[in-house]
Amino acid sequence: MDKIKVRQICFFFAAMMPVSKLLVYPATLVYNSRNDLLLSAFVNCLIEGAAVAAVMLLSKKTEMSLFELIGNTFGKIAAKIVYGLFAVFFFASALLPVMEQKNFVLRVLYENVPSIISFAPFFFVCFYACVKGFKSIGRMADIALPVFASAFAVLILLAVPHADFSALLPIAGVPAKDVLKGSLFSANWYTDAAFLLFFLGNFKYEKRASAKVLSAYAAGCAAVLLFLAVFYGIFSDIAVRQQNAVAQISKYTTSFTSLGRVDYLFIFAIALVMVFRLCVPAQICVHCVCKALGCKPFIPAAAVNALLLALSIFFNYSFLEVQTLFTQKLWFIFALFAYLLPAAALLLKRREKHE
Amino acid sequence: MNKLWTRIFLAAAAVLLLLFFSNDFGLIDIQETAIVVALGIDTAEEGEGYDVTAQIAVPASTGSGSAGNVTVKNARTVGEAIAELNHETGWYPTLVHCKLILLGEETANENVFNVLDYFLRNDAVEDSCLVAACSGTAREVFQAQSPVNDISASAISKVLSSEAQKTGLVSVTILKNFAIGYYSEGKSGILPYVSVKSEAESQGGGSSSPTSAAAAAENAEDAFGPFIKRNKWWHPKKRPLPIAAPVSAESGSGGQGGNGKSGGEDIFQASETMLFYEGKRAGMLTPEETLAYNLAATDTDFAYGNVTAEDAEGREITYSLKMKISKKKRKLTFENGMPVLTFSIRANARVADTDSAGTILDVAKTLIVRENVLEAAENKFREELTSAWQKSAASGCDLFGVKEKLHRFRHRQYPDFKDTILEKTEVRYDIRFTSMK
Repeated sequence: MDKIKVRQICFFFAAMMPVSKLLVYPATLVYNSRNDLLLSAFVNCLIEGAAVAAVMLLSKKTEMSLFELIGNTFGKIAAKIVYGLFAVFFFASALLPVMEQKNFVLRVLYENVPSIISFAPFFFVCFYACVKGFKSIGRMADIALPVFASAFAVLILLAVPHADFSALLPIAGVPAKDVLKGSLFSANWYTDAAFLLFFLGNFKYEKRASAKVLSAYAAGCAAVLLFLAVFYGIFSDIAVRQQNAVAQISKYTTSFTSLGRVDYLFIFAIALVMVFRLCVPAQICVHCVCKALGCKPFIPAAAVNALLLALSIFFNYSFLEVQTLFTQKLWFIFALFAYLLPAAALLLKRREKHE
Repeated sequence: MNKLWTRIFLAAAAVLLLLFFSNDFGLIDIQETAIVVALGIDTAEEGEGYDVTAQIAVPASTGSGSAGNVTVKNARTVGEAIAELNHETGWYPTLVHCKLILLGEETANENVFNVLDYFLRNDAVEDSCLVAACSGTAREVFQAQSPVNDISASAISKVLSSEAQKTGLVSVTILKNFAIGYYSEGKSGILPYVSVKSEAESQGGGSSSPTSAAAAAENAEDAFGPFIKRNKWWHPKKRPLPIAAPVSAESGSGGQGGNGKSGGEDIFQASETMLFYEGKRAGMLTPEETLAYNLAATDTDFAYGNVTAEDAEGREITYSLKMKISKKKRKLTFENGMPVLTFSIRANARVADTDSAGTILDVAKTLIVRENVLEAAENKFREELTSAWQKSAASGCDLFGVKEKLHRFRHRQYPDFKDTILEKTEVRYDIRFTSMK
């Protein structure tokens, strides 16, 4: 108990949740929703926000972990099966962001095309984090907040003068089905409520914890929406080609100055927070495997990271196919695990705190 | 002790991550890399395809670098030409430092995105790089040598600087904005039109120049460089003020693009603006119309210009005005079902100089501009803006973003007017110049 604190969960939602949506997500959203991308993103935020609220409500009513709750309701075997399924889900939800980040680092931060193996050190960091468990997520969140807040603020300030927000008009000019499609096809970027589900029983519910967490979540969503608005304001009709969005928005202010692209300092800072964020699904995946198999994290952590490394090399030239598979074909799996199951957890049998 | 070691490890990890992300372990071998600083794209002189000229920087130990031009002829695509550069030079071309894409005159006669889309398909060239059209061929323009700048591409980039944009002399365009215009509702865009003029011609041609009064007046006008030349509609002063020499270059020989020697004979000018519709050249704005357009619709905040008006004694005087735009707005409304575009512009003006010696009181009251002078300036501005609008409407180029406004702010009327908005729009002007006090 108390491996992670409510403060750190708040920091996670405010700082680490937004960074996962700053690379390929904006361009993908534009592909479906065009200038109504904010509506699509807002729908996702609302649905995930409801799932976060449901999990916080559950945490208010019980101090049990998800494993205990499922065990209580369906038995230990069922709990292990559910954890096994979630392990697969978290592994899948780790894969695409890892590939995104790999492409970002190799394309943006290197002048010539580097070796794929240049990104390999990330997996050592991730392995270490996986072995350390939830406590390290909290510590990463503590570091991430000030780094993210300062870097994000600077990048936005550099970008805003070049943004024409009228490009977002006309609002609701895109057919509703396209806006909805944009929301559904970006479900794989909204898996944070599922993380919270696994923090159950690992943090102590404080007074007004739900309000704090939901406020932090709202702050994170506001950062995402602001970023999307600035992004579309800058690129409007050619936004769909702008992969690695966070590295693009601020360059028009800095590239003409004698200092050059000083914004890279802040992009590095965001990249650091992204590294932290990438570790989280892998960490929870390892946690699920350990619970399902009843083993220590060392071997599952090594296996998960080795597999992630192997797949990121195997799919090196197939990012688009993997993205299409995850966003357009398997979106309902992500919606099920990230939206529905956290909300459905409210139905699990629980002992009341007073008992 | 444990805490200390943890902190040391954390600091070391942070430093390693910084080095990792900044690629300090993967420096480029400069000996094998051709640093392309500018690309010129011309329609092939012979046969089909394109002639692509790369201006490659040659680093020098003295610090005064120079550049060489390499042209790949008859390439079917720009991508093919870039690949061919490697074969022709033996060096791996890196385009990260390419800050200028110059399109030859012929290239603009067909859809320029036939060639420009290469730069959008990959990130080899940053989309913040400058794009311009030029008179003749880009290859010839790159061969010019500059007396004040070693590399002709750098000299052109200076002509197309953001400072020039701020003073309205040039309509600077970067690749991103040009692409947005092309893919937007308006399908329109503008590019500065770079022309090379020999300094001899610009200075009046020396002893071999025409000596007629008209030619002399024209040459005198040219002698003022881009400041006056680009503001033709503000009549040039009869007695010129000395101003900074424009960027100029000596004619290059062979494949050299500036060889570190000053004393060139060519001037780069970019005060005209080429209009594009659906990627093809649709018209050309004169320097005067370019200035009026910049004052009405871009980031230009202040400008200099001359206007002729009568003084208190009824003498015709040329006033050199310094204008500061305090408000600019374009509003699209509908009256009786028809579109109306209103330009609202407010500017403060002060007298920078006149072509006639005034009394000491006139000199002291230089901040105050006579009403008739302000009125003359307003009229001239309106006239040039009307001319620019007419060219825009005739060519289909959505110069003032009217189609965009219709789509974004008047979406209900969009289906009815999307194809005819430029012809049907009535233009109104609310232009007021006031004196600085």
